[in-house]
Amino acid sequence: MNTDKEIREKLLQYIIEATFTDEINDDTLLFEEGLFDSMGLLYLIDFIRDNFHIDIKDNELLLENFASVKSIVVFVNRKLKSQSTKKLVTCYK
Amino acid sequence: MKTITKTFSEDILFIENIESVCEEICQTLKANIGKRLKRRGAVVGISGGIDSSLVLALASRALGSENVIGILLPEKDSNPDSLILAQQLADKFGVETVIENISSALEGFACYKRRDAAILRVFPEFDSISDKAKIEIKQNIDQAMPSVFSITIVKEDGTEKSKLLPAKEYLQIVASTNFKQRSRMSMLYYYAECLHYAVVGTPNKHEVEQGFFVKHGDGGADVMPIGHLYKTQVYQLAEYLGVPQEIIDRTPTTDTYSAEQTQEEFFYQMPFKEMDLVWYAWENGYAAEEVADDLNKSVEQVQNIYINFERKRRTTDYLRSAPIF
Repeated sequence: MNTDKEIREKLLQYIIEATFTDEINDDTLLFEEGLFDSMGLLYLIDFIRDNFHIDIKDNELLLENFASVKSIVVFVNRKLKSQSTKKLVTCYK
Repeated sequence: MKTITKTFSEDILFIENIESVCEEICQTLKANIGKRLKRRGAVVGISGGIDSSLVLALASRALGSENVIGILLPEKDSNPDSLILAQQLADKFGVETVIENISSALEGFACYKRRDAAILRVFPEFDSISDKAKIEIKQNIDQAMPSVFSITIVKEDGTEKSKLLPAKEYLQIVASTNFKQRSRMSMLYYYAECLHYAVVGTPNKHEVEQGFFVKHGDGGADVMPIGHLYKTQVYQLAEYLGVPQEIIDRTPTTDTYSAEQTQEEFFYQMPFKEMDLVWYAWENGYAAEEVADDLNKSVEQVQNIYINFERKRRTTDYLRSAPIF
C-alpha cells in the first residue's frame, strides 16, 4: 500500500522530470502555471495509472482532483481506498 | 487586448452589410490569387460541409466558375452523403469537379491498419470490419481543465463503449488519421500544379485560431479566405450566396472517423453560436461579468472558458508556426 508520502514523492519526482523544472511544491497549480497542457495531463494520467494501478474515468477529470500535487495525492489515495474496498466486497460475493 | 467599442449582445456578430463583406472577400481573393500568387485559378477541396461550400461559392464569384475546380476526396470512412452534397454544390455554382477516392493511398500509408492497431490495444474486442470508432472530448469546457480525448467504439448492434485514451494510443490514432488530411492536401496540389492554380483553404476563424486543423493537411493551402470569419458568419454568408439548404442544415461533422461524430463532440465542446460569442468576448477583452448574463452562464463558467480558449490557442501555436530557421 502506498502512503501519502510515497505518492507525493513519486508524483513530485515525475513532474520534475517531465517538465524540466524543480520549482515545484505541493501547492503549485499545474495547469494554471502552465506546467501541463492537455498532452501533459494525458501523460500524467498514464503515470498515475501505471504507478498506482488505478483506472481514471472521464468524469473524474476535475480541477479539484488534478490542480496540484496536493490534490492529486488526495485523489489517488481516495481511489486506492475505494479499489481495495471493492476488492474486499468482491471476495465475499 | 483590443479596445471595446460595442455593447455586447447576442447579435454582435451579425453582418449588417453582407453584400459589401462578400465583395471585399472576393476582391481580396482575386488580388491574392492573381496579383500576389500569380496563379490562373483556384482549386477547392469540397466535402459537402459548410466551410468548403462557402469557399467554393466565394471563389466562383471572385474568379468566375470556369476558373475554379472542385475536388471531391472521399475515402472508405466518408459519409456517402458528403459526395452527393458536394456535387450538388458544384452543379449549383457551375464549377467543374473531379472525384479522387483516396482510400488506396491511405491503404498504402497503412493509415487504417495503424489506427486500428492503436484502438485494439485499448479495446481488444474491437472488430475493425463491423464496428465503428471515434474519438471525442467528454469534459465540459467550463471545467478549466485541459481537454483530453476518449475513444468510443460502436458495436454492430449500436451499443457503445468508451474509455479515456492513453497518451501513446491517442497520439497513434491522431497521427494515423492525419494521413487523410495530408493525402487530400497532396491531391489538391497535384491539380493546382497541373493547372497553375492556387489551393484555396477552407478553415474558418475557430479552426485556425483554436488549432482544429492538421498541419500540412487541411492547414496546407495558399490562401484562406474565410480564416477570419466566425462560424455563424460562415452560415450567414453561405445563405446569402445560395449554398444549398441541405448543406446549411447539416450538422458539422469531422467526416474522419468511422462512427458519426459532430465537431462539437470532437473538439469544440460547445454549440457554435455560443462559442462564437464567447470567443468574440474573450478576444475583444470583455470581462466575464459583462457577458455572463447574455451568454446565460455564470461568471465563473465564462472565466473558465476564457482560460480554456487561451490554453487552446497557446497549445496549438506549433500548428500555426512556419518552419524555424
